[in-house]
Amino acid sequence: MSNKLIDIVNITKSFDENVVLDQLNLYIRENEFLTLLGPSGCGKTTLLRILGGFETPDSGDIIFDGKNINNLPPNKRQLNTVFQKYALFSHMSIAENIAFGLKIKGKSKGYIQDKIRYALKLVNLEGYEDRTPDSLSGGQQQRIAIARAIVNEPKVLLLDEPLGALDLKLRQDMQYELIRLKNELGITFVYVTHDQEEALTMSDTIVVMNQGYIQQIGTPEDIYNEPQNAFVADFIGDSNILPATMVEDKVVKMLGAVWQCVDVGFGRNKPVDAVIRPEDIDLVKPEEGIIEGVVTHLIFKGVHYEMEVLANNYELLVHSTDMFPVGTEVGIKVDPFDIQIMKKPESEDAEAVGIEE
Amino acid sequence: MIKNGLKRFYLILIFILLYAPIVTLMVLSFNSSKSRSKWGGFTGKWYVALFQNQDIMNALYTTLIIALVSALVATIIGTAAAIGIQAMKPKFRTFMMGVTNIPMLNADIVTGISLMLLFIAFRFSLGFMTILLAHITFNIPYVILSVMPKLKQTSKHTYEAAMDLGASPVYAFFKVVFPDIMPGVFSGFLLAFTMSLDDFVITHFTKGPGVDTLSTKIYSEVRKGIKPEMYALSTIMFVTVLILLILVNVTPEKKASSSGQKQEIKKKHRISRFIFRKVVPTAIVIVIIAGGFFYGSQNSDAGNNQVIVYNWGEYIDPEVLTMFEEETGIDVVYEEFETNEIMYPKIQSGAIAYDVVCPSDYMVQRMIENDLLAEIDFNNIPNLKYIDSTYMEQSRQFDPENKYSVPYLFGTVGILYNKTMVDEPIDSWSVLWDPKYKDSILMQDSVRDAFGVTLKYLGYSLNSTDLDELNEAKNLLIKQKPLVQAYVVDQVRDKMIGNEAAIGVIYSGEALYTKQENPNLEYVIPKEGSNLWIDSWVIPKNAKHKENAEKFIDYLCRPEIAKMNFDYITYSIPNSEGRKLIEEDWMRESKVAFPDPEDLANCETFKFLGDDNDAVYNQLWREVKSK
Repeated sequence: MSNKLIDIVNITKSFDENVVLDQLNLYIRENEFLTLLGPSGCGKTTLLRILGGFETPDSGDIIFDGKNINNLPPNKRQLNTVFQKYALFSHMSIAENIAFGLKIKGKSKGYIQDKIRYALKLVNLEGYEDRTPDSLSGGQQQRIAIARAIVNEPKVLLLDEPLGALDLKLRQDMQYELIRLKNELGITFVYVTHDQEEALTMSDTIVVMNQGYIQQIGTPEDIYNEPQNAFVADFIGDSNILPATMVEDKVVKMLGAVWQCVDVGFGRNKPVDAVIRPEDIDLVKPEEGIIEGVVTHLIFKGVHYEMEVLANNYELLVHSTDMFPVGTEVGIKVDPFDIQIMKKPESEDAEAVGIEE
Repeated sequence: MIKNGLKRFYLILIFILLYAPIVTLMVLSFNSSKSRSKWGGFTGKWYVALFQNQDIMNALYTTLIIALVSALVATIIGTAAAIGIQAMKPKFRTFMMGVTNIPMLNADIVTGISLMLLFIAFRFSLGFMTILLAHITFNIPYVILSVMPKLKQTSKHTYEAAMDLGASPVYAFFKVVFPDIMPGVFSGFLLAFTMSLDDFVITHFTKGPGVDTLSTKIYSEVRKGIKPEMYALSTIMFVTVLILLILVNVTPEKKASSSGQKQEIKKKHRISRFIFRKVVPTAIVIVIIAGGFFYGSQNSDAGNNQVIVYNWGEYIDPEVLTMFEEETGIDVVYEEFETNEIMYPKIQSGAIAYDVVCPSDYMVQRMIENDLLAEIDFNNIPNLKYIDSTYMEQSRQFDPENKYSVPYLFGTVGILYNKTMVDEPIDSWSVLWDPKYKDSILMQDSVRDAFGVTLKYLGYSLNSTDLDELNEAKNLLIKQKPLVQAYVVDQVRDKMIGNEAAIGVIYSGEALYTKQENPNLEYVIPKEGSNLWIDSWVIPKNAKHKENAEKFIDYLCRPEIAKMNFDYITYSIPNSEGRKLIEEDWMRESKVAFPDPEDLANCETFKFLGDDNDAVYNQLWREVKSK
């Protein structure tokens, strides 16, 4: 990928003694679809608002295209934001909404007309120029909000949980729209969400945040398959996080048995956490498994069955396309590639990982 | 069914009770007869008369200008304040809202007086500006109150979105936030406008000479007897306020509830656009034009060639003022007071630089003692020669060297009796204690008059501060109580005319009037002496137009002018040449109006006795009344 567009250096921000962001470092590349992912209150929206210029960091610098923009007001920044609640101007028509930024920039009438038509086409709402925002559905309003932002040709588009208020189907449609838009426009997206599925679907890079700290930065595959700590593992998808002991490289002891894995470098006989995704657990005949267990719960989820299996006093979550009724004795197998070993955190602070890629 | 009928009846009854007074007023405004009890046919003439009355129209201009300007300024300040408060942390916001609400809950009179004190403390001279400032002050909380809820509804995201799209904070505010809170701002403006139109108390305390709003104007007119023009004016005001209130209550209605109501929204936008493109500019234009008119008329007044007169209500023939203005080219700014005690603090505070004032005797004394008066240059008052020397001498009681005051009107306190109801001619206060007249005696219900009469009867000064003398008087008054039919003030006149009592203590001015109504009534100043009161013209020390004030006093001393005022006010004039011009013989020769100097020999004017002695008098009077 190309070079850094935004460099966030040592940003700290607190509200009334409550530290929301602590010494945070991050950079965003040109043309990247970067997602800030984390539970509510993790500081992701604050970070976005600092980028947009609506909050000032207590310390640290925001470098945009090589220039420090800490004290640049929002209206002078080459960024546009799509707000969670759309924030359309209800007393203006759709066309007036979209033209708002262009009029301020003093563009010609013809240019503005072209842009409105182009933007409405881009978001699949041609012919809506004269409608008022209140007469549109939530998804339509959100697309107008996006159209209003992109006609200004910002270098970066900031999106603050833009799909949060939409229903599932609409959300999925919009996710594809956003990916299409990003590819068509070639601008950088910084996307804030607490929905891991959204993040995994759209992002080039995911930044997992918790309590003001970055937990992990990586591609969706990295984040999903190689969570670096229990928080990430737990937050991204369902997982079984088990206490384990690293016997030696590529050998781990957990659930009262010894397992083969692929991780190295944790030392000998060191306590660790092991992560196993529910869909990576294979249920087989009792004699074929490494350990044995009993199915205690069964739920049909559509694509798969979700089961809980009691093995050596641990409840394991298992997703499988095969169905095992409650009470069945099963054997449990896991492919060595599917066991992810993580360092045990010594304290909560140590859970936060300072990332230097 | 019966229950429903009762409900309806109750509702109708309440509406009748609520609106009957206003409907009566409206009906009377179209009554061609001046009488309140007689219908003389439908007419619009009072409305015509109203619009021809320059004073009222001036007051109307003033009212509208003050209402519009104060509402506009309060709207701007209040909206800005509401935005500031909204941006505060919740703790401070609650506190600030509480603070801004207090002035609304505060009694008007407290607000009015405190504003007056503030203006005086900062040496603002009371006038148009102070009314305007006062109105802006009390209007701001109303604007905040009506803007605040709209701001709470408005998402801050739209403001941020506008900034994000490149709008400066100011542009974002006017383009995005303001249209959202517009209904609140507009209803705040209307509310402020209505409150300003409506206000009397605060205006009363903060206004200066020559400036009147409709409410203060109506109030001063009411004192002189309500004219039918006032019914017309009140009707117009009521209808105006009603329309405004309807506007206030209809405008902020329903924020398009569901998404389908495009029409609704369009309409709302048309209304707000209409208000902004048409109504507001029109209002501003009216303010400017009306303001131009007002200041046009005001500036000709406000030139240096003026005299600011502070006089009792109904205490000069208005024609005299016009004639004076025409002859001298001096503009008279005329202001009225109701009692000496209301007048005094205004002079003392120096808030308004009056040029010539008409206090009573004891108040002249008090003003001299407090160094509030300027010496009059009597070289500028050649007409002083027409003032009877008797009254110049009597004036020495309160103005020992005749340096500060010129007598204007005077009167005495005496006994009015019905010739047919008493046996002998009366010449002494002693009849008031004569058991023969039990239940036929009317006493003045005022402490200084009651004690004055008694002290004189006992042969003491009516300004006595000797406790023994006062106690003696008190005991005598208690002794008199069983004989007295009633302690009254104004009713002496009516009761005596109606033959309801034989003897009454009365002022000479009223006695003169009773004689025309009932020829059996006689007025006498008892031989022991009585109270002589003199209202005199004085010039306050801070007068800005002293020469004009002296010209004014001199003008009033002209015999023909004094006579005009006598005809108008019917109180005695000390102007001996003026008296000769009175047409009716009986009036000119009336001993009631113009007592012989020897009748006045034992008379005294009241003196200001000091607060402590006032308290003693009041205490003794309470003892009398409670026994």
